[in-house]
Order: sequence, then structure tokens, then C-alpha cells
Amino acid sequence: MRIAVLLSAGRHPVSGVVVLPRLEAQAIRIATGLAQACGVRDGLEAPYGLHAGPDAAAIADALGQGLARIEHIALGEDADPVPALAIRLAATAPDLVLAGRRGQGGGESGILPYALAALLDRPLIPDVVSVAPGEEAGTLRLNQSLGRGALRRVVVRGPVVATVHPDAPPPLAYAFGQARRGAIEPLGTIDPAAADTPVPAVAREERPYRRRPKLVKGAPTGGSAAERLKAATGESGSAASGRLLVDPDPDEAAREILAYLRGIGVVAPARSPRG
Amino acid sequence: MTSFMPLTTVFPGLIWAMAALALVQASRRAALWRVGSAAPVAWLHGLAQVPRRYLVDVHHVVARDSYASRMHAVVAGGLLAASLLTALAILPPLAGSRAYWLLVAIAFAVTAAGSILVGARRYPAKQKRLSAGRFQILPFLLLAYAIGGTLTALLLALGAGGIALPFTLGLAAAGGLGLAFEVRQGPMRHAVAGALHLAAHPRPGRFEGRPDTALQPLDLEAPRLGAEMPADFTWNRLLSYDACVSCGRCEIACPAFAAGQPLNPKRLIQDLVAGLNPAEPPYAGHPYPGGREGQGERGPLARLIGPDARIHPDTLWSCTTCRACVEECPMMIEHVDAVVSLRRYQTLERAALPEKAIGPVTELRQAGDPGGRPLAARTDFAAGLDLPLMADKAHVDVLLWLGEGAYDLRYGRTLRALVRLLRRANVDFAVLGAEERDTGDLARRLGDEATFQALARENIATLAKYRFTRIVTADPHALHALRNEYPAFGGHYAVMHHTALLLELIRAGKLAPQKLSDLSVTYHDPCYLARYNGETEAPRAVLDAIGLSRVEMARSGKRAMCCGGGGGAPVSDIPGERRIPDLRMAQAAETGAGIVAVACPSCTAMLEGVTDRKAEVRDVAELLLQAVEAGR
Repeated sequence: MRIAVLLSAGRHPVSGVVVLPRLEAQAIRIATGLAQACGVRDGLEAPYGLHAGPDAAAIADALGQGLARIEHIALGEDADPVPALAIRLAATAPDLVLAGRRGQGGGESGILPYALAALLDRPLIPDVVSVAPGEEAGTLRLNQSLGRGALRRVVVRGPVVATVHPDAPPPLAYAFGQARRGAIEPLGTIDPAAADTPVPAVAREERPYRRRPKLVKGAPTGGSAAERLKAATGESGSAASGRLLVDPDPDEAAREILAYLRGIGVVAPARSPRG
Repeated sequence: MTSFMPLTTVFPGLIWAMAALALVQASRRAALWRVGSAAPVAWLHGLAQVPRRYLVDVHHVVARDSYASRMHAVVAGGLLAASLLTALAILPPLAGSRAYWLLVAIAFAVTAAGSILVGARRYPAKQKRLSAGRFQILPFLLLAYAIGGTLTALLLALGAGGIALPFTLGLAAAGGLGLAFEVRQGPMRHAVAGALHLAAHPRPGRFEGRPDTALQPLDLEAPRLGAEMPADFTWNRLLSYDACVSCGRCEIACPAFAAGQPLNPKRLIQDLVAGLNPAEPPYAGHPYPGGREGQGERGPLARLIGPDARIHPDTLWSCTTCRACVEECPMMIEHVDAVVSLRRYQTLERAALPEKAIGPVTELRQAGDPGGRPLAARTDFAAGLDLPLMADKAHVDVLLWLGEGAYDLRYGRTLRALVRLLRRANVDFAVLGAEERDTGDLARRLGDEATFQALARENIATLAKYRFTRIVTADPHALHALRNEYPAFGGHYAVMHHTALLLELIRAGKLAPQKLSDLSVTYHDPCYLARYNGETEAPRAVLDAIGLSRVEMARSGKRAMCCGGGGGAPVSDIPGERRIPDLRMAQAAETGAGIVAVACPSCTAMLEGVTDRKAEVRDVAELLLQAVEAGR
């Protein structure tokens, strides 16, 4: 089992200091946990980091958070990292490539893992919160976050790219001693042409962050706070009266719709019981 | 027996044999200390200082328990006098003198009286805090030696001899050789290791009137950071742990032990001793609360910390670094240094911080604040107050260091009061504003020395840009770091606690408080001000200047109990049976005072967090402002 973690130079959201993005630190935790779990069965290979960018110092923090080795591809300031990463990953062929689901600072469009997966022709499993070895050899069991605590389990065979969701376990602590022992291996420029390939131009606009109000559909404006909360969480009110029918019989669906319309008073109640 | 060797030679010969046996046993022990790493020790100076350190510094601590003090004076004084006198009897003129033997008999009789005092602490029932085990045989050994010695000397003084002498001498020999044997891993080890420890103490400043309490900087280039196993400690630290008498004064003082968290300082030191020596007799005192027994490998190269090792990580993270155990230890052992050394290894080499402490330490490293809050927001508490910035002023008298408390709504009120007092007294002051980073106190106590050193260097660089006469802070943790720990990194400042400055302003007549005599108050000493810096008087003097009726808690001043807020304990959050601040507020309630006066953001936060508290929690600055405004 070979695991690569894609690393990027992020910025701390408050201080602006160059840091390892939290999602990637979480990815390292998943990777080290998986390597430990696999160690017994498949022969342990320590997960390693992969970074393509002008400066390796930016990602040196990852060495203190569980990685012993980072490969660094030197690139120009505004170069597109995708081709270089794809060439390197095609050459080393890791079984699992973990990435944050978006960067932290910089472009942070979140498109890189998809572009990479497309180039490598591998499936991409987004928003993973945990990865474990599957029951069959060579398979992986990934838990995907669907938001609001819902999870979906995916079992895959073969090499995949996965992105990490913020709900994954928090990052490991930074250990100065481990960082001191870790190594950054410069790979030089993988593809001289790629080093200067500019990032595809995307129209970007920078605006100050503004917290957006959360819209709750169908929430009553009056009543007590508890009532509004109940309505919003679906414990009462219109949200609670819905019923989910999967692939129903057309007759049954029609009856259900009529019953609902009657229930809310749009259609007059049936005059006589149906036979 | 008398036929081939006179008894007047055999008796002193016994003492010489005891000395030889003790020396052999001590050197066997010393071989273990040598596995520790090197440490510079000023031997000549240290040895010359031993009598003074013993009679002054150690006595001050021992004398807090007057029984223990008297017991030691009688038994140790008698033992030394009687043994030395008897040893000198190899000189023929003395051996022949009956008056001399009478003197020896009296010295042994004093020892016997002392031995009974020793025994009375253990029989019929042992005092709770004492350890049992091999200590339980100590009174018998002492008694045998003392009574045997008394009778032998008496018989020699009377010139009587005959059949009784071999028996009395045999009794003295059994007791005396037993005592000498116990120098290696029994109760008498504390006498030998303790004396050497006084000479080779890792913090000699403690005996020279300095509060030598700053953590010692860690060389970040060292091959191994912190202590993983006994051999990682310096040899004189290993020696200091052997000095432990298991008297249990530390466990009585320890707030974590009182709260039922899995920490007992006595057990911790004994685990360090047992970790060094696989043959150590089993521990016989109170266990760690929670009842976990030490397990795992032992030996100089055995791992000390781990769920399966001698010391559970929770034990390590329960410590609030309040130094109450150090303050109480009659053998001058530095428990907190041991805890921090072990934490340093856990944090710097293994990243094995408590899960809840990882966030704050990471934010400290990345954002310069444990909460990850914007540094510019530190002055938000002063909305509406005119707070001058250092960057706008070329030179000020007072640089006000706000500290982490400024982000806290409750402590912001205190700081507002302080700023208004400074304004009223026309103090020329300014704050650093967004340039002030955390001092790194939290990171350092949690063992993250690398982050602390980085923050210290950044803060020192910031402070070097400005000119000021002194730094004033309302946070004793920041005060301790700036005053005592930054000098090692090149930052030398005159640092004052806000209570000291307020007292100075009152005495200079710049603040004229009215008397608030209808209020009763008890003052809670912050550990980092009282124990770490010896400052207990200024806050009390300020409270007295307001005319409050002040009552003291049972534990106050340098022996006050911790609020539970130091050493990263709140972020480590190790569960116990009770909470430390609840215990402290209960102690405050015993005084009947309506107000608990505080002088530290951590104490304020911890004590205000107590539910059903009977007293109000007010900072000294808030009370003073109230008194000053009453005068308008």
C-alpha cells in the first residue's frame, strides 16, 4: 500500500502566515492511520507528501505532523502544478492519493484533484472522512461525508484519488523533533515545459468575506424559539409532514399527492369514502 | 571476646564498619546516577554551602511541621553526635576515659529518645501521608542501635563488663549495620542522597534568595529532546529523586491529587526512582488517584511514559505546574522540572499532546495566539477608552502588556479598570496592540519548547524596537515569562505586576482611594505571582489601602492552592473526581468573605466558572477603581 498526500502552501486564515492547510494535515492523519492499519497485512510503506511549487519551506510543517518524506517538484511562481503532479504520480503509481478538498489561501478553487484524477484516469472519491483497508486484499473502504453527519460507505478497488472533508478527525500535533528528522527530496523540474505552463486563466474577483444568512425554508416567523427550531429541524410543521416514496406505483403516488393536498387544505376533503 | 580485642576498640570499630558499609551501599547507588547525562556542578562551592542550605533552607521547610523538625533535631543530631564520638574512641586516651563513655552514652540516649519520636509517627497507626514499606522498620533499627549504644557506653563508663557487653554490642551492631545497609534503597538513602543533592542542586539560585523558578531552556539541536527514560535526566536530577523521603507533604499540597486527578507527586518521584532501578522495593504510599499501578519495564533505558509504562500520560498532563509540591518538599526536589522534561519528549518527539491541547498549541505556533484570534482584536476590550499604541509613541514610562486575558470578556472588564486607573494617575503608558504576541507560556508548560522559543524571539525583537522604562502586566504568567524566562533569550526587562504598580501609585499619592470598609475580602494568591516570584505583599497592601476587612484563607501566600488554570491543565482537561477551582472556592467560602480578590486572568476565569459560588470574584484593580471612584 503506497499512499501519497498532496500538499500545498496555505495561509493561516487569521494571521496570514504560510502554514500547512488544515485539510491536508487531516489527510496526513488519515494516511498515517491507514498505513498503520495496513502495516500488518500488506507490508508497511510510510505515506509520503508531494508538493509542486516554487518553495519547499512552505510545506516543511507536514514533516512534523506525521510524514517522514516529502517529494518536491520545483515550479515557477505561477506555473500550473497539475501536469507535473500527474507525471510524477503516473511514475510512482501510489494506490491512494489524498488531497484536501480545497486549498487554503491562493486560488483554492478545489479543481486540482479533479483535473489530476482526469489526467491520471482514476476515479475520484470526494469528501472522505476515513479510510480503512477493505476486507478483500487490494480494496479500500472509504467513508464519505454527505454533510450534516450523514455518511456513505464506498468500497473501491485499485488506485484512487480522494479528497478530505473537514469532518475528518483533527490533525495530529506538530512535533518539532520529527520535523527535524524528516526529509524534503527535491525532484527538480519534472517536465521542463510544464514548469512554465501558466495556470489556466479563471476570472477571479476578490471580495472581503461576509457570513451569509442561512435560509430556512418554511420556518414560521412567529412563535417561540423552540417552535421555530422544531420547524427548522423538521420535527414539526410542514417539514415534518413529508413522506419519501422511492420509485412508487403511479396510482399510489397520485393517491399520496391528493392526500397531501387535502391535508394542507388545497383540495376539498373527499365527500364519501372511496371503494 | 575481651580476651583477644578490648571492647573499647570493637565498639568504635563497629562505627567504622557502619561507615564502610554505608559507603559501599552509597557507591552502588551512585553507579546508577552516573547513567544520567552530564550536568555542570560547582562542587566546591556546593559542598561548602551544604551546612547553610541544610540549617537554613531545609529547616524552613521542615519546621512547617514542628514535630518533624524536633524529631529530626533529636534523632539526627543524636545519631551523628553519638556515632562521631564513638568513632573517635579508636584514640587510646579517649577509649580509656570513663567520663568520655558517659558522654557517648548520653548522646546515644538522646538518639533513643528521637527514635521513639520517629516510631510514634508510624505506630500504632501510620500518619496518612507517610509511606510504609521499608520505612516501617526504621524506628526499630534506630532503637536497636541507640539502646545498644547507650547500654554499651554505660557499661564501659561504669567499668563493668562481663556477660552483658556482647549482647548490648550485638544489639547496637544489628541496628547500626541495618541502618548503613538501608543507605542503598531504604529509608536512610534520603540522608546521603539529600546531602549530596543539596551540594549539587540543579537550581542553586533557590538558596541565594532568588526565586530560581524559570524553566531551563532546551537545546533544540540536542539529539533527543526532553526525557524519554531515566538516563535522559541529568545525573543530579536522578540524585535528587533519590533524596525523596516519601514524607507525602507534596501530595497534601497537590491540587490535582486533591481533585482526584491521576497525579500524586510523591508517587511520580518514586516512579522515577523505580524506573531507574529495577530492584527498587515496591512503593508503599498512596497511589495515583484512580488506583493505577505502575507497570511495564524498568531500568535506565526503559520508556517512562505510556499507557503501558510506569507513568500514564494522564498523570503527566494533570499537573498545573503550580509548584506547590516543590514549595513543600523538604528535600528541595524539583517536581515541575521533571514533569516538563517528560512533557517535552512527549510533545517534541512524539506529538503525543492531549487531544484537546493540540488546537491551542497549533494556533500559538501559527497565529501567535492560542485561540487563533486576530492579534489586532486584543485591544477590542478597550472600545471607547483611548488606548495609546507603542507604534505612535516614541518613548513611554510603562509598556502595558495585555496578555491573553484581553480577549476574555470577563478579564476585559479588569483591564478596563486598570486602564482607567492608569489614566487617572497620569501614567505615561502604551500597549503594543497588534504587535503583541502571546508570551508562549502555554506552549512551554505543555512541553512545546520550539514554539515557545520562536514566540520569545519574535516578542523580544518587537520589544527591541521601542523604548520604555518598565513593562507592567496584569497576567502573572506573562510576568513570569517576560521577567524570568526571556532573559535566557536576550530579553532583559524590568517587569512589574499591576498590583505592584497600583501600590506605588497609591503610595505616591497619585491615586486616592476611599475606604470601602463595609466589604470583606479574601485574597487568592496566583501561583505564578506568589510562588514563582515571591510577590504576596503588594496586592494585600492595595486591598488594605482600600480599607477592606481582609481575611486570609487557610492556604495563602506562597503556600496558596492553585486555581487549576496553569500549566496547560485547562486545555489538557484530564478528568478527576472533583474540580480544582471548586475546591479553591470552597476554601474561600470558609473565610466567610463576600469577595474573593484575584490578580490573574487564569484565576479569574477558573474561579468565576465555579457554580453556586458564595462569593464574588473581583480583580484587585476593579476593587481599587471602585474605591477611587467612590471618592469623587
